[in-house]
Amino acid sequence: MDRLWILLLLTLALAESSIYPRGLFINLHNGELCLNSLQCKSCCCHRTKGLGLARCADKAAENQECSLKSLYGVYYKCPCERGLICDADRTIVGSIVNSDFGICKDPSNKISNEKEERKKHGD
Amino acid sequence: MLVFWTTLLLLLVAVKGKEVCYDRLGCFTDDIPWSGTVERPIARLPWTPQEINTRFLLYTKKNYDNFQEITAINPETIDYSNFNASKITRFITHGFIDQGEERWLSDMCKRMLQVEDVNCICIDWVKGSRCAYTQAANNIRVVGSEVAYFVNILKEKYGYSPSMVHFIGHSLGAHAAAELGRKIKGIGRISGLDPAQPYFQGTPPEIRLDKNDAEFVDVIHTDSAPVIPNLGFGMSQAIGHLDFYPNGGEEMPGCQKNPLSQIVDLDGIWEGTRDFVACNHLRSYKYYSDSIIFPDGFLGYPCGAYNLFEKGSCFPCPAVGCPPMGHYADRFKDSITSQFTKLYLNTGEAKNFTRWRYKSSVTLSGRSSVWGNINIALYGSGGNTRQYEIFKGRLRPGEIHTNLIDVELKVGTITKVKFLWNNIIINPTLPRLGATKITVQDGETGNVFHFCGSETVREDVLQTLTPC
Repeated sequence: MDRLWILLLLTLALAESSIYPRGLFINLHNGELCLNSLQCKSCCCHRTKGLGLARCADKAAENQECSLKSLYGVYYKCPCERGLICDADRTIVGSIVNSDFGICKDPSNKISNEKEERKKHGD
Repeated sequence: MLVFWTTLLLLLVAVKGKEVCYDRLGCFTDDIPWSGTVERPIARLPWTPQEINTRFLLYTKKNYDNFQEITAINPETIDYSNFNASKITRFITHGFIDQGEERWLSDMCKRMLQVEDVNCICIDWVKGSRCAYTQAANNIRVVGSEVAYFVNILKEKYGYSPSMVHFIGHSLGAHAAAELGRKIKGIGRISGLDPAQPYFQGTPPEIRLDKNDAEFVDVIHTDSAPVIPNLGFGMSQAIGHLDFYPNGGEEMPGCQKNPLSQIVDLDGIWEGTRDFVACNHLRSYKYYSDSIIFPDGFLGYPCGAYNLFEKGSCFPCPAVGCPPMGHYADRFKDSITSQFTKLYLNTGEAKNFTRWRYKSSVTLSGRSSVWGNINIALYGSGGNTRQYEIFKGRLRPGEIHTNLIDVELKVGTITKVKFLWNNIIINPTLPRLGATKITVQDGETGNVFHFCGSETVREDVLQTLTPC
C-alpha cells in the first residue's frame, strides 16, 4: 500500500516535471526516492529495511560493505564503485532475499594476496 | 498657507513615531530607523512581554532529556534548577514561525552536552514568532531584551560574567543579539545562523546583529540569495568577525531534491516539510550541530569570493590555520581583525555534512588520447575515500590535470592513491592509460604527498600508485 502511494505521488510529480529542469523519474540525485537503481545517477537505489523507502545513494567504496548485483534493482548495501569487485559468494537464498553481502575489494590486490597465501601454504 | 502648515504638521506627526514602554525591559520606538525606511516600510511596535511569553528551557548534564524551565522574573527558579554558575551558558534561539521546543534546539543542546559541561538554554518565543513577519521582526527586540534581563540577573545573583555567555540565534533569532549587545557590553560570543534578510539587510547596526554586539561574532550564511526573486531568507552582507559562506552561501547541496523526496525525509515528514519550505535557510543550524561533533570537518578558507575558492586560488589554509565553521570558530577569537573576514568551504549533501578538502594533480601517461574521465581515491591512516572525478574530457598523455576534491573523511597521512579512468565513448581499440605521477595536497596542513606509477591500465581497472 505504501509503495502504491509512492508510485501514485511519483506519477503526479512526473506530470509536473515540465516545471523542473532536472529529472524526476530518471537521473535522480542522492537522497531522492527511487524504485530501481536505473533511475539513479549513482546507479544504486538503496534502502535500509525491507519495508523502508528506497533512496538513491553513492556506490560503496573500497573496504565498504556491498551487495552483488541483483535482479531486484534495489539494494540493502550498494554495489561497488568502478574497478572494484564485491567479494561475496552468490547463494540461492541470498539471491532470493537480496542478501549476497560482501566487502568491496580491488581485484589486483586480491590476486596478489592469494598468491602470497599460496606461497605461505607451499612453505 | 493653512494647507501648507497642516500638511507639515501631519508630516511631523507621522515622522515622530510611537513608543511603547514595558517595565523591566524599557522602551521601544518605531521611529526611524526602526521603521519608515526603505528597508523597513511598515511600522510595528513590539508586543508586550506577556504576549510574546519568552521562556528559558535549561538543559544540563544532569537533565539531559528533559528541560527545566527557569525565569529571571522569579530568580529562585534558577536556584532550584541545575544551572551551574561556574560553567559557560549557551542560549539557542529559533526564528520566524519556529518554536523553542522544536527538535533541533534540544538536539543541539544534547550534542553540546556530549562534548562539554555547559548550561544550555533554549529560548522559546513561539507566541511572538507565529504572526505577520513585520510583527515578528519587531517582537525579536523584546526577546533580545528578555535575554539581556536574564543575563543581568545572573550578573547580580552570581556575579556571572557576560563573557561566559554565548548566544546562538537562527534567522530572526540572530537579530535578538542587537538588543542584547546594546544592553549588555562584553557578551562573550554571538553566533548568527543565517540571520534573516528582510527588514535587516542594509539597516544600521543598532537594528541587526553586528560585530560590535559581542567580543566575538561568527555568522554562517546558507541562504543569502536575494528575497526577490530567489526567495533567499538569509543575509548576504558580512556582519561578524568571521563570516562563513558554505557552498558559496546561496544554494546548499541536497536542497534541490524533487518535492516528494524532500518532504518524505529520512528524519520524518515534519523535518522534510520544514526543508521543503526553507531547506537552505535551515541548513545553517544543521551544519552548526554537526560541527559540535566534528571540530575539523568544516574548515573555512579565507577567500575573496566563492569562485576564487572553487578555482583553488585560496588553497591551502594559511599558516595560522583555517577557522572552523560552527561551534569551534571561537578558537580564532584572538586572531580577528577589524575587517570582515569571508570564509568559504564546501559541505556534504546529507548529514554528516563534514568534508575535507584536498588538491590533487594527475600526470597522464599512455599512447593514445581518448575521451574519458579520470578518478582518484585516497588511502591513508584515516581510511580510504570514494572515487572522485578529477577531470572529464580529452585525455592526452603527458598532460597534467589538477582539481580540488572535498572528500567525506579525514585521510590523515596519505599512504597510496588509486587511479581509474573510463571512456565516455565506446572505444574498440582498447586503449591503455596510466598515471605516472599524482600529487595530493592536504588543505588543512598544506602537506604535499607524491605518488608514482609506471604501468598503464585499461578502462575501469584500478592502478595503485605508491609514495615516491
